[in-house]
Amino acid sequence: MNHLTLNAALIGVLGLLAVGFYALLTGRNLIKLIIALQILVKAALLGLVVAGNVNNQINISQSMAITVIVVDTVVAVIGLALAVQIRRQQGTLDVRQLSNLKG
Amino acid sequence: MATTIIILSIALPWFGALCVWLAGDKKPQRTHYLAMIFSIITGCISLLLLLNFDAHEAVDVFMGGVFGRFTLIPDGMGVFLAIVAAVIGCLAVIFSIDYMHEEEQLARYYSLVLLFIGAMIGLVLSGSLLFMFVFWEITAFCSYALISFHNDDPKAVAGGIKALIMTQLGGLGLLAGAILCYVNFSSYQISVFLAEASSLPQTVLSVAAFGFLLAAAAKSAQVPFQTWLPDAMEAPTPISALIHAATMVNAGVYLLARFYPAFKDVTGWSFAVMLVGFLSAFLAAVMALASQDLKRVLAYSTISQLGYMVYAIGVGGVFASQFHLMSHSVFKALLFLGAGAVIHTVGTRDMRQMGGLGVKMPLTRTVYIIGAWGLAGLPVANGFFSKEAIMEAGHANGPVWAFIGMAVVAGLTALYSTRMIAMVFYGKPDVEKDIHDAGFAMRAPLVLLAVGTITTWLLAGPFASSLKASMPFHEFHLAGTFELAAEVILAPPTWIVLGVIGLGILLWLARRWFYGLARIFQPVIRFAEQGLGFEHLNRGLIKLTNSTAKLFQKSQTGQLNWNLAGLVIGLLAVILYLTWRT
Repeated sequence: MNHLTLNAALIGVLGLLAVGFYALLTGRNLIKLIIALQILVKAALLGLVVAGNVNNQINISQSMAITVIVVDTVVAVIGLALAVQIRRQQGTLDVRQLSNLKG
Repeated sequence: MATTIIILSIALPWFGALCVWLAGDKKPQRTHYLAMIFSIITGCISLLLLLNFDAHEAVDVFMGGVFGRFTLIPDGMGVFLAIVAAVIGCLAVIFSIDYMHEEEQLARYYSLVLLFIGAMIGLVLSGSLLFMFVFWEITAFCSYALISFHNDDPKAVAGGIKALIMTQLGGLGLLAGAILCYVNFSSYQISVFLAEASSLPQTVLSVAAFGFLLAAAAKSAQVPFQTWLPDAMEAPTPISALIHAATMVNAGVYLLARFYPAFKDVTGWSFAVMLVGFLSAFLAAVMALASQDLKRVLAYSTISQLGYMVYAIGVGGVFASQFHLMSHSVFKALLFLGAGAVIHTVGTRDMRQMGGLGVKMPLTRTVYIIGAWGLAGLPVANGFFSKEAIMEAGHANGPVWAFIGMAVVAGLTALYSTRMIAMVFYGKPDVEKDIHDAGFAMRAPLVLLAVGTITTWLLAGPFASSLKASMPFHEFHLAGTFELAAEVILAPPTWIVLGVIGLGILLWLARRWFYGLARIFQPVIRFAEQGLGFEHLNRGLIKLTNSTAKLFQKSQTGQLNWNLAGLVIGLLAVILYLTWRT
């Protein structure tokens, strides 16, 4: 992998991280937070693929990437299911109002 | 045998605390009697410790890794203070049966008291600096929880938090000393520290010495940390008697006495200790004279007497200071419990609203006068022998100005004690008030403590010999009880101090001649009522602590996204650290 592509990919990772953190910290809707977490995971995935490419171990990085995608999907599904339940129970998805320790 | 007794003396009150807590508040009689039974058994078991003096560890458990060995040593100093804690604890619990008769949440009260008694016994018997610190912190927590027992009263809560902050800051000094010990000797054991203290470089030893002095001054409410004790008087009176007169505040003096052989050669330490004791004794006596609240007078008096003990250590009279500690615990607990009986009946702590109570409360008046007799240091009460022993040590080894100052303080002590008794028990009674004497549960501890005030000086001989036998690092000169007593009676300082005390009492009786003088001193008196400027400093300190805490509180938003972001950032930081460690 040549120098330029590597730099571009790393900037991509950092960019995705930045976008994910910004969305995480300023999001108010619970669904937005779940999406933000997904963006962060995609950043990590990109980093994984780039690392595999740089070290010429694309097989290992490929398997790890697929595993991460599967795990990430499961986490997203569960997060969304919880969000649906919260909307039903509390009537709101605004995190600023969801800070009771009970319920 | 000693092992079992020692373990029981700490485990039983703690088990009792658990039982009382589980017993709950539904049947108050059950809670009262359960607490009473546990405290009586603890008192009896601690008395059994008298049979087992030993300089060697009775309990030695290796706690693993960096925590060192958890040891409990039944040596002379520790055993006598453990007995004081357990017996006076027992009497305070019995007193509480009557005093806290209509109170709610008794389970919380009694379980905290029992927890405190166990922790105090552990503190004085501990042979490991680290675990002494642990017990120290447990007693500080119990003190805070009991001061703010009436947690719907903002004054009580403020008093509790003030006590907590100040004693904890002092506790840092103790922790610093413990860590220094471990760093230099790979062991937290006090015996190791005392044996090899001279091998430490002067700077390290000085840091440890002054750190311990800080911890002791904060815990024993000495200058400049004395402001928490008068505010701690919001606690129920049996708590004031137990924690803030007879046991917890003794922990500081105990600390100084135990580590005296290690620190006595540090330049300036003995002088600093003596100065702290002298200043506390003097300032507190002045403030007691200016106070109108009965319990505040007793609180200032406690600070003043603790100042005597600290002064004694500063001039090298370690036995005198421990002897006075024992006597003071007895008569101060007596005075506080007597004050509790008065306050329970009259309903107020303001002395100006009391007066002439002696007519309807003859027993309380008698025991109170006995307690004040001990406080003022008149023969034949135990306070006389111990205070004069301190003055003798001060006369022999200390600077003359300090001796004169302490004699003046003795006179002031007599003055404010007489004032207290005159304002409360003599004078014109208020006939509209319904005054009755204390109930049986209040009377029994009062009478026992009064008998103790007159007789505990007889234990001086056995106390001295047990100290000599079981504490290898201190130097005590031995004498039997009556030789010690004779030494005290025949020494010239004794007569000087007795004269000053007599002068103090006469001053009260002749006070009308001095009213003009008092008017000149009015601004000084008002300044003294405000705590001589220390209150400002300490209020500032507490505000600083609270504002720092509130600043950190802002990071805990409770919102999901901030928590998640914190998690992710933390994970990233760990990964980066691990990656870049190579």
